[in-house]
Amino acid sequence: MISLAGRDILHSWGKFVLTGMGLGLLIGATLTMAGVYRGMVDDAKVLLTSSGADIWVVQKDTQGPYAEASSIRDDAYRGVLGLPGVAQAANVTYLTMQVRHGARDERTMVVGFEPGQPGEPPNLLAGRRLLRGHFEAIADVKTGFRLGERISIRRHDYEVVGLTRRMVSTGGDPMVFIPLKDAQEAQFLKDNDAIISERARTATNPALNRPGVPGLLDAVNAAQTVNHSVNAVLVRVADGIPAEQVAQEIRRWKHLQAYTREQMEEILIVKLVATSAKQIGMFLAILTIVSAAIVAFIIYTMTLGKIREIAVLKLIGTRNRTIAGMILQQALGLGLIGFVVGKLSATLWGPAFPKYVLLEPGDAVRALVIIMVVCALASTLAIRAALRVDPATAIGG
Amino acid sequence: MDEGIRIEGLSKRYGEGDTAVDALKDVNMSIAPGEVVGLVGPSGSGKTTLLKCLGAVIEPTRGRMTLGGEVIYDSAQDGWKTADLRALRRDRIGFIFQAPYLIPFLDVTDNVALLPMLAGRANGPSRARAQELLQALDVAHRAKAQPSELSGGEQQRVSIARALANQPPVILADEPTAPLDSERALAVMRILNQMASQFQTAIIVVTHDEKIIPIFKRIYHIRDGRTVEEAGEGRDIS
Repeated sequence: MISLAGRDILHSWGKFVLTGMGLGLLIGATLTMAGVYRGMVDDAKVLLTSSGADIWVVQKDTQGPYAEASSIRDDAYRGVLGLPGVAQAANVTYLTMQVRHGARDERTMVVGFEPGQPGEPPNLLAGRRLLRGHFEAIADVKTGFRLGERISIRRHDYEVVGLTRRMVSTGGDPMVFIPLKDAQEAQFLKDNDAIISERARTATNPALNRPGVPGLLDAVNAAQTVNHSVNAVLVRVADGIPAEQVAQEIRRWKHLQAYTREQMEEILIVKLVATSAKQIGMFLAILTIVSAAIVAFIIYTMTLGKIREIAVLKLIGTRNRTIAGMILQQALGLGLIGFVVGKLSATLWGPAFPKYVLLEPGDAVRALVIIMVVCALASTLAIRAALRVDPATAIGG
Repeated sequence: MDEGIRIEGLSKRYGEGDTAVDALKDVNMSIAPGEVVGLVGPSGSGKTTLLKCLGAVIEPTRGRMTLGGEVIYDSAQDGWKTADLRALRRDRIGFIFQAPYLIPFLDVTDNVALLPMLAGRANGPSRARAQELLQALDVAHRAKAQPSELSGGEQQRVSIARALANQPPVILADEPTAPLDSERALAVMRILNQMASQFQTAIIVVTHDEKIIPIFKRIYHIRDGRTVEEAGEGRDIS
């Protein structure tokens, strides 16, 4: 038996392919939206994995450095190190800020870490690790910085000595890693005018500027310019020790909050990315409805354009299921072209997106199934119209 | 007379009560295999209704129809003898329309071979049958062409081939020469006569085309739903 749908598609392939391409671009946008969500989740997982930590110790009653502000004393790690089952513990700071690079600003998350400790970027694409205690930086390639370039963080210049990849914050900002001391200073350092103003204010306070106590004012001023806070302590547990067991000890004895990898993942993915996921979900739903409406409209219009032929086909004995099959196959064909174009488009333009777009094969398969179901449903309107055509209309001019 | 098609007391009423319209009133016709008869009448006389009844597209109100000696409809015995009117039309009735109405996305061969294929025959024999008919109608050289590439006359010949594809005992031709000039109209009638004779098919040609009326040996005039048979001139156009 001849494939009526196939012949019709071949007969008007130009119109069909152009329509399929239009639909494909829409499907490409849908796949990309799904990819953006997957990318956010994957970024979050990579962020946790690359930190090298098993436990995140943060300020009590907060949800950690990625979800909300957390400030703990920078000597808290010593107490944590003394707990049984703790192999390593190190301070880290996280601060989202604009980093100046020549004439332009780059929005980044500046991470302060101690070399050789948890929090250090695990893999470098180029360059080397930090060797000096100050003014060196490792940057994610998405910042656009290159090796040897100088960048400004607050009032200091840093040399980019290493490049890493896939190190972005949950907001998608690429990370810049600098020594912990520099990061602590950057996080709390005030500008010169503010320091002068603060010192003047302190000097006018008779309680802090006592004539009979020399050195008190200097000590107070010095204390105001030094920062002893960090955002979190990253803990690596010893082999064979359950992370939750150590986390419980920290919560119990150190009056701090401690999250295991699973708990932190839940905070990042379920809570932090949840709003974005809902937003993307809404877009996906809307795009799916729009795609269905487009397919329904196109197939319906194409069918209306063939009403006379359908009447003749019915008159000469073509079964309803043959006609319905023809329309259904065309809708599925349109969906297939749309899917191929959409997948290609998403693959091509995905890397150009500022955020990581992760196109998973499983999502593509799910999308194909959904597209086929949507196309099949969308074709019902046209099939209904075709089946209602009276074969008698072919007779009588 | 060996029967191609026989119609007895056929009536068709549209609507009910005060609004009822009798489109056909006690129509009687008989056409032998290989015979071409004209069905002539003014607009609204009931030609199309009769064609639709004969084509098993609408159900008559009353009467009896026999096709190739087999009763296909009898109002006295539950109407249609088969539930599958689609198969009846496909296998036993050929249609030729005012315009060729070829399927635009099928080539000439497949337009003709479609009917045998719909009837369940394999592609090979169906296409062979199509080739045979296209040969007989002198359009075999256009076998691979698309309908849009054919002239009006060629398209009409292909539509005749399509009507003959399943070797039906009867062909219903609905004003097949209406859009054609005299020369082409006569050519189509010549082909219909030739095919009727060659394939022993009874052909009913609905027309009000003055150019071809003298060609029929028998004509049924239809007026206000009633038919009157008369002898035609039977002009020779071979």
